[in-house]
Amino acid sequence: MYRGREGQWAFYLHRLSGLGILVFLMLHVANISSAMWGPEVSNALMKFYHQPVFQVGLLVLIAGVLYHGFNGLRIILMDFTAWGVRYQRQLWYGVWVLFVLFYLPFLVKIGGGILGGSHGD
Amino acid sequence: MAIKSKRYAEARLEANTNLELYWWVFMRISGVVLVFLLIGHMWMNAILMDLNKIDYDYVAQRLSQTTWKIYDWLILALALLHGANGLRYVLDDWVRDPAKRFWTKVVAYGLIGFLFLLGSLSLFNHDFGVK
Repeated sequence: MYRGREGQWAFYLHRLSGLGILVFLMLHVANISSAMWGPEVSNALMKFYHQPVFQVGLLVLIAGVLYHGFNGLRIILMDFTAWGVRYQRQLWYGVWVLFVLFYLPFLVKIGGGILGGSHGD
Repeated sequence: MAIKSKRYAEARLEANTNLELYWWVFMRISGVVLVFLLIGHMWMNAILMDLNKIDYDYVAQRLSQTTWKIYDWLILALALLHGANGLRYVLDDWVRDPAKRFWTKVVAYGLIGFLFLLGSLSLFNHDFGVK
């Protein structure tokens, strides 16, 4: 199916982003469920995660989610249409167009926040 | 073994078991749903809301509404299942030793099951006590 080039990159990036998202999801659930130990614990943890280094991590995560999601739609198109596989490479570039379109607002908002020092206290 | 086909017709032929085919279909369906749920989730919390202002009260206020509880629980359930099955594909491909693969799966599934329980409890069993 994949003969190197774009298809191979698409595949590796899909796996890598998928694994990354799963690791984040586990941390995220653990963090949010700290609410069960009350507002003090929960707020302390959330303040910890408001540090700039985690905000940068969040930018990476959002990139991962957007890529994984849009490339997933590409996979579905390849699975269920007659033409999807034939245009898999063009579709991959379409994925990046969508990616940039959706990623820019996050980059501006979160990136601006990091540079502007609006984090934590 | 995980299905490698990229077309539904081929996937059906390749599937050794019906269960494997159902997982293949589940990955597609949950994937589409998750794209919309997650873009909404990220947009709401990072663009409409200032990430750095998110605290216990904000979470409590959002989760005091049943709609958001269900929204978040759908993400939790679909993402953990989608992720668990994706991880299974990766482990089947990349962990060659059967014993190592088995125990890696035991640990991974255990952790994912535990987090599903933890997340569900905090969504439905915790009184956030909105002021």
